[in-house]
Amino acid sequence: MVGALALRRFGSSQMVILSLGLAVLIAISAASIFFVYKSRDDADWIVHTVEVQNQIATVLLEIRRAESATRAYLLSPGPQFLSEYETASALILPAVDKLAELTSDNPFQVQNSIKLRQAIEKRMSEFARGIDRLKNNDVATSIDVLRGGDTGESVQAIVAISRTMRAEEDRLFALRNTSADRSQQLAAIVTTAGSGIVIALAGFSLMQVRRAFSARDNAERQLRENNANLETTVDERTADLREANDEIQRFAYIVSHDLRSPLVNIMGFTSELEELRGDIFRRIASKTAIASDGERAIEPVNEEPVLEGEDKKLSDEFTEALGFIKSSIGRMDRLIGAILNLTREGRREFRPEHIDLNEFLQGIVSSVAHQAAEADATIRIEALPDITSDRLAIEQIFSNLIDNALKYLKAGKPGDVLIRGRGKLGFAVVEVIDNGRGIDPKDHQRIFDLFRRAGAQDRPGQGIGLAHVRALVRRLNGTLNVTSELDNGSTFTVTLPINWTAEKRGKAA
Amino acid sequence: MSVPVKIIMIEDDEGHARLIERNIRRAGVNNEIMPFTTGTDAVKFLFEKANGGGSQDGEALLILLDLNLPDMTGIDILKRVKQDAKLKCAPVVVLTTTDDAQEIKRCYELGCNVYITKPVNYESFANAIRQLGLFFSVIQVPPTQS
Repeated sequence: MVGALALRRFGSSQMVILSLGLAVLIAISAASIFFVYKSRDDADWIVHTVEVQNQIATVLLEIRRAESATRAYLLSPGPQFLSEYETASALILPAVDKLAELTSDNPFQVQNSIKLRQAIEKRMSEFARGIDRLKNNDVATSIDVLRGGDTGESVQAIVAISRTMRAEEDRLFALRNTSADRSQQLAAIVTTAGSGIVIALAGFSLMQVRRAFSARDNAERQLRENNANLETTVDERTADLREANDEIQRFAYIVSHDLRSPLVNIMGFTSELEELRGDIFRRIASKTAIASDGERAIEPVNEEPVLEGEDKKLSDEFTEALGFIKSSIGRMDRLIGAILNLTREGRREFRPEHIDLNEFLQGIVSSVAHQAAEADATIRIEALPDITSDRLAIEQIFSNLIDNALKYLKAGKPGDVLIRGRGKLGFAVVEVIDNGRGIDPKDHQRIFDLFRRAGAQDRPGQGIGLAHVRALVRRLNGTLNVTSELDNGSTFTVTLPINWTAEKRGKAA
Repeated sequence: MSVPVKIIMIEDDEGHARLIERNIRRAGVNNEIMPFTTGTDAVKFLFEKANGGGSQDGEALLILLDLNLPDMTGIDILKRVKQDAKLKCAPVVVLTTTDDAQEIKRCYELGCNVYITKPVNYESFANAIRQLGLFFSVIQVPPTQS
């Protein structure tokens, strides 16, 4: 009981733990996915920042290249410097455009890149003007133009703007780096904490499982012990019952046996008394005869003496008394004999064997054919199931029932006895139905008692048959019932297991 | 002539003993009848005196035995008689109320010569004893001397 409760509690707590674990796992997975995306974003942004910085460097580099090419061209006008200038200056604006495109996400940088572009365009126009003057051999102006550029506002602007942009990107880089770090840290923390919780839950669950196992083991041990105890108890009780039963059997046997001994004496000496009575009354008769005739009349020894008057009355009373004694002794002897038979039957071992009931009952019926004919009765047998049971017991059961059916028919009415049967849930139900005198419902219990009978006592019998039948049916694990009304016939229903085995009854049999 | 047979009657019920004796006499048997009402007395007579070279030497004995004795079972007496070198030739008639088939079989196995159930019906009883008496009158019993 306690074990079962613990197991049930264990089941529900295990469910809770499992659900908790599952929830934690889902949370960890979701957080992981979130953080993976977040760190990828962060990384993208960092890369983006680096790209912007690169682009700024590229722009500045191209400006420097254009500037140095312009200066080189100024120092020694050669077509290779001019072409270099052209290449570089051609690359500047696309680079600036790319920068603008890259920084399009940041309004601050957009502003800056527009300013940068203006400054660069201005500077480039300066370069172009310088190159132009040089082409017209106006070197001085050209140098002026370029020199002015050195400290000019366009150069200053480019430097300032590019520095601002760099600073902004540096700031963004730092910011994004920190954010990425934090994301990773968070991811690590969430994963670690989640794993910790899951491991803790698993540990708790394991502990519970172990506890439940030990509870179950305990319960099982208890159950085994209980079973063993129960078996021992049952065995003990069975042994007690068997002993009690044996005791009763022995008791009945000894009692009935020992009752017989004095009965032999009573009967013997009663018979001796009868002899004496004969002798006494013969003597009286002869004395009376002598007195009346005056001469000695010699009576034949074994003849009834001729008596008259008082003497005759005395003799008759003597005879009557002896008659009652003898008939009672005879009755008692039959009762004792019946008890002896019952105890003997009770001690007989039953052996199950297969019986074709149809054939078997046909045999019994043909053995009472003479009796049936005398009683003006017909016996019909309808299809019966086969059973496995003790042959002798079955024979006694049905012989008794059929015998009773023939014995207690209604006077002046042809007897009709029907035997029919059917199988039902492993039992064979056989009915013996007669149209005889029937049994008053108040006697239905009484007829199964030993030495008890019911109805008109006009047939010989000891009141043993049905008691015996019931005892046999019970030993075969069956039941015996009667339904009957006075004057309306009786139905005796025998229910027997189809497959009776001696083991079912156990050693108690 | 042969030695007259002495009938040893071991019967605890004096009424039975009397009835048996009467009916034996009625059958015309006049042999000496020695009644014993307890197994102990009978055993003492049979074995102590007989084995000790007592008066039974040379006598022919016939034993009438009841199985239900107060102090021992007749079966034990039967067993001892049939195992005794001197007494084993003496005929034993078991005369008892027991009509149990097992018991009867056991007595014959142990060497009982006749088994008779005492019927309550006196006619049958008297008849059985008288016929037994006839049996006594014709039976040849060797003396106990070896």
